[in-house]
Amino acid sequence: MAGQSDPHISLFSAEELEFMAEDELIEIVPNMRMDPLNFICVIFKSGDFGPFFPQIASQVPLWLAVALKKRGKCAIRPPQWMSVENLTRVLEGERESQGAFQVLPFHYVEISRLLFDHAREDIPDMYMVRSLIEDIRDVRIHKVETSLEKFSGTSAVKIPNLSAMEVNIIRPFVGRALQAFYKHDNPEKIPDVDRASSAQTRAANNEPRVSATEEITDRFHF
Amino acid sequence: MHGRKAYELVKEFANGDKGHLKIFNNELFEQVIEECNEHHNALQSLIRKMQEEGLEVQTARNADHYGAFIHHLSLIRNKRCLMAYVHNRAEIIRELAWKVGLLHELPGEIQEKFSDLEEQYFKDHSKSLKSYMSQLSLDVNVDMVPPKDPYIKVRVLEDLGSGIILSDKSANFARHSMHFLKRTDAEQYIARGLMEELTG
Amino acid sequence: MASGAGEWSAEQIDNYETLISTTDVELLKRAWRNEKASPEILPFEEALVKRAKEQIQLMEETVDDFAESGHDPLIASLYQMDLDRAQFLLRSYLRVRLQKIEKFMFHIWKMDTYRNRLSIEEEKFTERCIRDIGKHLEETVLSKLPDNYQSVLKQSIISEEDDMVPEPQLDTFVVAKCERATRPLYLDGSRQSASFDSRQFAILTCL
Repeated sequence: MAGQSDPHISLFSAEELEFMAEDELIEIVPNMRMDPLNFICVIFKSGDFGPFFPQIASQVPLWLAVALKKRGKCAIRPPQWMSVENLTRVLEGERESQGAFQVLPFHYVEISRLLFDHAREDIPDMYMVRSLIEDIRDVRIHKVETSLEKFSGTSAVKIPNLSAMEVNIIRPFVGRALQAFYKHDNPEKIPDVDRASSAQTRAANNEPRVSATEEITDRFHF
Repeated sequence: MHGRKAYELVKEFANGDKGHLKIFNNELFEQVIEECNEHHNALQSLIRKMQEEGLEVQTARNADHYGAFIHHLSLIRNKRCLMAYVHNRAEIIRELAWKVGLLHELPGEIQEKFSDLEEQYFKDHSKSLKSYMSQLSLDVNVDMVPPKDPYIKVRVLEDLGSGIILSDKSANFARHSMHFLKRTDAEQYIARGLMEELTG
Repeated sequence: MASGAGEWSAEQIDNYETLISTTDVELLKRAWRNEKASPEILPFEEALVKRAKEQIQLMEETVDDFAESGHDPLIASLYQMDLDRAQFLLRSYLRVRLQKIEKFMFHIWKMDTYRNRLSIEEEKFTERCIRDIGKHLEETVLSKLPDNYQSVLKQSIISEEDDMVPEPQLDTFVVAKCERATRPLYLDGSRQSASFDSRQFAILTCL
């Protein structure tokens, strides 16, 4: 009767990742005048988005940029990191260092996909940019996979600079893999979900330990 | 063999399509219940026998004690399987309550998979969800996926003129004209092949 | 939880600034993400939910005004999108919690730690859930079993503790992103400590 969540299902759906990415700020160049928008989601304490003036660049969340773009009200300025020059450098960096990941925005996959879908004419060298991002993505995923092979039994593994999509892919797998390592290292610590022993086991292991929930709400987020 | 039928019951559930119910297997279910009662009778008669032989039931460790113990364990195992069967089905029933229970009646082809008691549970749980939502004055069973732009770009494929009424605008929907419409307004025309959605 | 007042790095001050200027929508998003990722139910964000509901209501009025006046459909549609996004977050947050309650109702109910994390409405919901499934299990299974085996929570009267209650597996691993550099943490009672840098991803044991 032990309820187990399905580990095969990723924590976030593709739509949810995209939803989160849509809050990232991006620069637009409006072609109309519009008063400030007083949104629920205002990010700056100083005020709202806008006012907008023709040809004056302005920062807005990606979802707003795409909505204005669809309505023919602005051009989107692709972010700096999306230049062919930068992406070429990032790709080289990814290929050269086996262990480390280059710095890219957390939502680089989702952001670039949204821009390819809705603002293709605003991206110089769009096809080149798209293929570079696909290459970077492939190299990184491959690296994630090989770095997973090097995991060993431990209570914490650190990986800097992963992106949202990459984390989402590895999360279900890594959790279970480490669980297995942990189980082999500490057979007495894993509660047998079929039995009642879990509470006792935990009480017996009364060592000083960090409650991750406590620490996580403070310093970490998922 | 002890526990075989209960195992089949759970296996049947586990082999089903995820999230889909098969017909409640009443026949097998009742057989397992019957088996539980047989175990219990056997267990009690062994204990009675020990008592008749003047043995201390709590401490004696003879063949009858272990026999009784095995009947006890088999009974527990059967109980766990029965509970798992009902519990896991109840999980799917709750999912259905989220999806359809709050809005309308269940489609017949799903309902016929339920036992009578499951039908009642479905109703009860739907009511509990409803009561939570009314206390909060907020529906939580809508917006299941992240929102998209409520407006879409469409091209009119057949001359519709200005006779159609939309929630927030009126226009001349001449053939090949392009419009920016609420998705909910446009959907019926797209479905009938009178408009097409433009992307990119 | 700062690493000692008076010796904050520029980065920490930056982080602090972003923390205090974070909007409710950002906070709600964080609460939603954390709730989705954690195996157990987290404390209900009561004040935040209250504020979010108020802001959503205000925005609904704004959108209605625009719809009635009929002018500037562009701005109306943008406000509508903003509203939709906030609504989704709020509903999804509450939904994730309800689904956790449905899964682990007995466990949440008997542990004060978890029970105290529920909102009043969630508490009532949990109570009803337990009543509903209790009745269902009782009528379908338990009433047909021999007397000593009829408990929902225990396998039989011999069981000393509740051994039939599904509970979240806390002794597991989570993937988390580090927001600010940490002091060394002693994870899982081990002698070795680990510290984490901001932007770093870590896979940690949860309890």
